[in-house]
Amino acid sequence: MLQLIADGLIVGSVISLGAIGVTMTYSILRFANFAHGELLTWGAYLTLTVLGFVVALGGAGPMQPIGPFSFGWPLLAALAAAAVMTALLALLVDWLLFERLRAHGTAIVLVIASFGAALAMRNLLQFIYGTLPDYYSREIQIAIRLVPRDVMGGMRITPDQLFVLALTAVTVVLLHLFLTYTTLGKAMRATAHNPALARLTGIDVRAVIRAAWVIGAVLAAIAGVFSGLTVQIRPGLGFDLLLPLFAAAILGGIGSVYGAVAGGLIVGLAESLSVPLFGAEYRAATAFLVLIAILLVRPTGLFGERN
Amino acid sequence: MMALCCNDIVAGYEPGLPIVRGASISVRRAEIFAILGPNGAGKSTLVKAIAGLVPILSGTVMLGDEDITAVPAHRMIGRGLAFVPQTENIFANLTVADNIDLAASIMKVDKRRRLPEIDDLFPDLARQKGLVAGRLSGGQRQMLACARALVTSPRVLMLDEPSAGLSPRLVGAVFDNLRQVRATGVTIVLVEQNVKAALALADRATVLVEGKDRITGPSGDLVSDAEIAALYFGHGGAGKAA
Repeated sequence: MLQLIADGLIVGSVISLGAIGVTMTYSILRFANFAHGELLTWGAYLTLTVLGFVVALGGAGPMQPIGPFSFGWPLLAALAAAAVMTALLALLVDWLLFERLRAHGTAIVLVIASFGAALAMRNLLQFIYGTLPDYYSREIQIAIRLVPRDVMGGMRITPDQLFVLALTAVTVVLLHLFLTYTTLGKAMRATAHNPALARLTGIDVRAVIRAAWVIGAVLAAIAGVFSGLTVQIRPGLGFDLLLPLFAAAILGGIGSVYGAVAGGLIVGLAESLSVPLFGAEYRAATAFLVLIAILLVRPTGLFGERN
Repeated sequence: MMALCCNDIVAGYEPGLPIVRGASISVRRAEIFAILGPNGAGKSTLVKAIAGLVPILSGTVMLGDEDITAVPAHRMIGRGLAFVPQTENIFANLTVADNIDLAASIMKVDKRRRLPEIDDLFPDLARQKGLVAGRLSGGQRQMLACARALVTSPRVLMLDEPSAGLSPRLVGAVFDNLRQVRATGVTIVLVEQNVKAALALADRATVLVEGKDRITGPSGDLVSDAEIAALYFGHGGAGKAA
């Protein structure tokens, strides 16, 4: 039982970080961006590329792990660089596609365009990197027993998984502080609530849109790397997470950052806890049953505003 | 020099479908100026066009001696023109303090000096700074909307129907606040359906009909002009129009 909860929280961490980007795009740009999953994939692969360069430039052979982790400082440096590159990619896609359609198109045009963008991004990635899965490290990790077997089945967790949980918590807290206390964070919340009033207040809405893309893409890159670190890196990484990302965003209340985090964790837990009940092949369906059940009770989601 | 001067404004949401059709108004410094007229006359569209929210198809808007016709909405407040929309004029998801503080931060206002002044002007709000703005009453929301606009010390404050949806007592409170704001030297332009209250508050007013200003003059003259009242307000005197 405890092991299932731990597994659910790890999967939920990745979903939460990705869902924040989905919900931010929706609340500020007013459309469901189905290309967001591809930002996770690109973030994961760009990190792999930069990691290769960093390790090669270091000239000391394979990456030296930090303590009990499977990765070393080069991966963290590569993630930082790849996060910036993923943000630039998101801004490029916005400039090439969404910004032009926002001027004249309706929300459904943007949604369909996001499907097209997702296909183009995924195919370009497969063209560059191929279709075979890859790994950041070939180090074999020994799971640490945190809870003895006689306590609710016990719990074992790898250091990498602990790192993912801890860094997700730190990221969410930092995002909360940013949205609550900084002028840009408040401007983003204000723009999400009422773009026209935001403009009258002196907020440059275009700058806020750029900030939303950057934050969403950086979190997507982190989520992509976490997924690559705890599972594997593959071209379908983001696409496979797309429905859980949207389920989490809707479950939490579309537009709510905190809702996305809670929704991600609930979807992750629901998927994990359903495995012994229904089998692994039905884990995604179980998450959606939970989504439907919660929406029947709270149609606006857990943290959604009632209009 | 006028505080705000609009010359022959043609404005609308779609090219070829103007709602404002050649309106001109001139507002003096530190006066309260009302824009009146029947439903669909283009009053709200005119102030939205001045604020940069509706495209101006032709004509010019001068704020003092500066042409602001093509200035985007988010830069208006920096030029000294603030606008309070009729509805959804506060950030309901932010606290009262954050609503005011956000505008001050973006415009780099000296908050140590200005925030106490706003507190003095709106003491009811000062007591509820930690409250989420969406929980305020209708009158408090209007006051917060005014406070948010005024914290940047604009030269001209435009309001679209500040009395809409408020009880007579709250309308009185909001209008008393506007008198205090004017006393600080701010020019006020307001669109109003509540003709009686607007003419009692304003120094001068203009009547807009079918997107064009038809008559402008001191409020006292408009109140007593039975012909104008009958023509534009649909009965024998503005005094009965509210």
